[in-house]
Formats: sequence, C-alpha cells, structure tokens
Amino acid sequence: MTRLLEVKGLTKRFGGVVAVNDLSFHIEEGEILGLMGPNGAGKTTTFNLIMGDYKPDIGEILFQGEGINRLQTYERVKLGIARTYQVPRPYNGLPIIEDIRISTIPDSITKCLRGQKQELEEVTQIGESVGLKDRLLKYPGELSLGDLRRVELAKAVALNPRVIMLDEIFAGLTVHEITEISTLLVEKRKTGLVFIVVSHDLKALAPLVDRAVVIQFGHLIAEGTYDEVVHNEKVKKAYFGM
Amino acid sequence: MVNWITSIKSFRWWLIAIAVMSLLPLFVPSSFLRICIMANFMVIFAISWDMMSGYTGYVSFGHPFLIGIAGYVTAMLSSQGGFQTTHIVLPLYATMPLGIAAAVGGGMLFFLPSMRIRGPYFSLVSLAFLMVLNRLMIAVRPDMTGGDRGLTSLPYVVTGAVDNYWLSLSLMFAIAIGLWLVAKSDVGHVLKAIRMDEDVVESSGLSTYRFKRFAFILSALTAGIGGVFYTHYMGSISPSGAFDYIFLLNIIVSTVVGGMGTIIGPIFGGYFITFFVEYLRPVLEGAWRFLAYSLVALAIVYLRPGGFYAIAHDIAGWFRAKRRGGIQYDQVT
Repeated sequence: MTRLLEVKGLTKRFGGVVAVNDLSFHIEEGEILGLMGPNGAGKTTTFNLIMGDYKPDIGEILFQGEGINRLQTYERVKLGIARTYQVPRPYNGLPIIEDIRISTIPDSITKCLRGQKQELEEVTQIGESVGLKDRLLKYPGELSLGDLRRVELAKAVALNPRVIMLDEIFAGLTVHEITEISTLLVEKRKTGLVFIVVSHDLKALAPLVDRAVVIQFGHLIAEGTYDEVVHNEKVKKAYFGM
Repeated sequence: MVNWITSIKSFRWWLIAIAVMSLLPLFVPSSFLRICIMANFMVIFAISWDMMSGYTGYVSFGHPFLIGIAGYVTAMLSSQGGFQTTHIVLPLYATMPLGIAAAVGGGMLFFLPSMRIRGPYFSLVSLAFLMVLNRLMIAVRPDMTGGDRGLTSLPYVVTGAVDNYWLSLSLMFAIAIGLWLVAKSDVGHVLKAIRMDEDVVESSGLSTYRFKRFAFILSALTAGIGGVFYTHYMGSISPSGAFDYIFLLNIIVSTVVGGMGTIIGPIFGGYFITFFVEYLRPVLEGAWRFLAYSLVALAIVYLRPGGFYAIAHDIAGWFRAKRRGGIQYDQVT
C-alpha cells in the first residue's frame, strides 16, 4: 500500500522538555491508525507538528512522498490534511451551519468577493452525514460535548481532505456516543478517508483501528495491530506501571 | 453565492438614509451642517478602523498614522506656503491620490510586518508607529512639514458649508456602502471568524494573513481618502491635530459605542460622539467634557455591549415580533 503521510525522526523540544523524541511512523491509504499513549505522551504535539502549528527541531514530515515541513498550516490543509481539536473549538458567535460553512470558503479574496459562497445545501448534507441534522441552526452553547465533537468532524470533512487527525475524539463521551462516532468513522472510511485517531481510551480504539502506534515521552514504544500493542510489555508498563 | 437579493432589499435603508441626510441643508443652519461635516469625517475614520480592528480583532492604535500620512503628503505637495519654507505646489487632483497611496504604501510598510504578531503586541507596535511619526513630522525637515506648527493655507476642495456637507456625505456613504458590501461577503465572514479563533480559521485551509492584509489595505485606503479630504476641508494640518490621542480615542469610542464589527454601527457612533462633544462644549469645559462623554460611552457599552447597532437591532426585532404576534426564534438568538 502507498504511504500517505509519514513522519521521520521528528523531535520537538520546549526548553528542557522533549515533547516529541525521534518519532517515526506512517499511515497508508485506506487505513485507520490509532495513535496511543498515556497523558502527556506527546500525541497532541505530534498533531500540531503535522499541521504546522509547531515547527519541528529535527525530522521530516512527508505527505504523499513530498516534504511539507516548510508549508504553512493552511497549505497543508489544502494538500489534504485536516484535524479536530481535543477541546472542541467552535466559533461561539455563529450557528453550527455557518461554523461548518467556513471550511468550504475558498482561500481567495476575489472568489469571496465575487460571491462564490458554498451552497448551504452541501453544508447541510455534511452536517447531516455526521448526525447533526436537527442541530445545524443551534449555537455551540446549546450543544452537548458529543455534538460539538461531531461539529469538529463535520468541519474537517467539509475540507474534503485525504486524512483526518482526530484528537481525543472519544474523550468525555458516553458509551453510546462513542459507538455512534465509531460507526460514523467506519462509514466515512468507505469514502476513501484515512484517519489517525488519538485516544488514551484503549477500549474505544479496539474495534476501530487497523494498526496502532504507542508513544511515551514523545518516543515510539510499540507498533502493530491493536492486540499486539496492548499486549506489549512496554505498553503495559507505560499505562499501568507494571 | 452572495445573497444579492437580500443585499438589494437591504439597500432600501441606505437609500432612505441618503435621502434624509441629503435634504438636511434645506432645514438646518450652516453651523449645524459644520458639525455634521465633522461627524461625516469621524464616521469615515471610525468605519475604516472598524474594517480592520472591529472585524479581525487586531486593535490598532495607529489609525491616525494612516490618516496623518495621507494628510501630510497632500498638504506638503499642495501647500501655498504658511509655515512651510520649502514647498512644491501641485494641483489637488495629483496630491490627493498621492496622499491616499502614501497611506496604503506607508501603512503596508510599517503595519503589515507587525500583523504577524498577535493580541496586545500588535496594538503596542501600532501605538509606537503613531508616536514615532508624530516626532518625525516635527523633527525631520520642518521646512517641508512645518514642524510642530504644521502646515496652513492649504487649498480647499470645495468651499461653503453646504458643498462641504454634500462632499463629506457622499464620501461617507460611498465608503460605508462599499465596506458594508465587503463585510456582507464571505470576506467579512472570514474576518469575523479570525476575531473569534484565528488558529481554527487557519486549520480551515484559509490564509489568515491574506484576509487580514486585505482588511488592512481597505482600512488604510479609506483612512487615506478620509485623511486627504479632511485635511483640505480643515485647510491645515499639524502633528498635535493629526496624531492627537483624543482624535484616536474619538475614533475608537465612536466604533465601540456604535457597535464593533458592523460597519453600520460606527455611523451612529460617529454622529453621536461628534454631536455630544459639540453640544457639551458650552456647558462643560476641557477635561470635564471628555469625562462626561467617556462615562456615557461606558454606560452604553455596559448596558448593551453591541452598542447602538445592537440597540437598533433590538428595537427592530421588537417591532417585527409585535407585527408577527409573538417573539420569533431569530429574535431570541
């Protein structure tokens, strides 16, 4: 299979703290990859590095074989990389439908001024596809955490990406909501989307991921299928100290 | 696509406002018109500040910098003498575009690099530019700038209160409607989103710098247009007038009281502040007058943070609800 996204020897330091340490992994076409690790392992920092929010001290990020280290965040998004945030970040003054629509606005002043607004029908379809049918006219303050995570997902899907990085998409959700979102991801995968799912909830990832990588202190400690990594001694030690 | 049908429908309020205000010279004395002229210029400056700071959330304290550059360039090139000993005399149709171009060019040179920094740092840098330009105009080539006394005896574009009123009114409405259309497009939508969460906008595949730069250029352009016409209306320009902190304060308060990020709000705010300060002049002197207007501005923002625009929206919503026979969802939200 073709490697869609790859990180090679990624290192990021914040002063004396090494948040990501010589990390290498990749994701292939058609895959759902779990990025696992205990709190503070460096999962979100890895996402921020891939998105271009932080610049790596050492290492390279490749998308479809091309280095993207020099690209700005919005340029990486245009290539086909999208993300959701660990803590949902809706635009608080906007109804959900307008919030999602921002992801469909062209990055061109001329096009924006010419009035080439994305039809709301398409945005509505995206909202409905993530289960927000009757909540699109509501404001963020009126939604549950589960629905806000759906909004995050809808915003990412609206960008028409190749890969979506989901940061703690299951955190704070009920078992029912976790099942719903997992089903949704499996459905979306059929459309050719590739996911990297960050979670410290191992059970939630079990039925979902094809492969998993586990990091601790920013360093890769295990890689393989879900069953292989959860039975790995280093992983057990990282999670349970045993 | 931009909902042009809604835009055209919304134009009816602009047409009513233009019609009412154009007829004003028939009913009011020229002393009243002169206050209106000052209000029209204040509205232009407030709207141009709103385009940048109200929409993107990048609060600029350097707006008089843009107005001042435009004013000084056209003044230096068109001055007939006065305190200026070295001067070139060019016609206004040449000097005014040069002044506007200087506002945009100078603004881009100084401000755009600082737009890569965020929050209070941008505001502080913009304030520093204002202070530096103030000192430069006094210290560097006073034979050209007129030093701390500035430039006087500048030619007028038109003379008389009525003609100046119509000119300033036309400018004000042209700028207001132009920026209102931009604000109604997706550009305005993105700028507002930048104010709410710039990182998320960037993660939506949009170059926030591109949109901020566009807002800044529009802001500088309209500030420059206002600056050159204001300078030639006043017939003089000086550092203490162009770069005065009270002038900056009036622009910001007009926008805040009118309603930030609305374009229409600063029209209410600019008129309110100008008339309030003028009508208090015989009653309260100097600092007391500004204390009074600051308290009124604070009270308005405290009671209704969205300012006059939000109050007008509330009133319109109340009437709509009454007509429909009940409160509707869109009024609640």
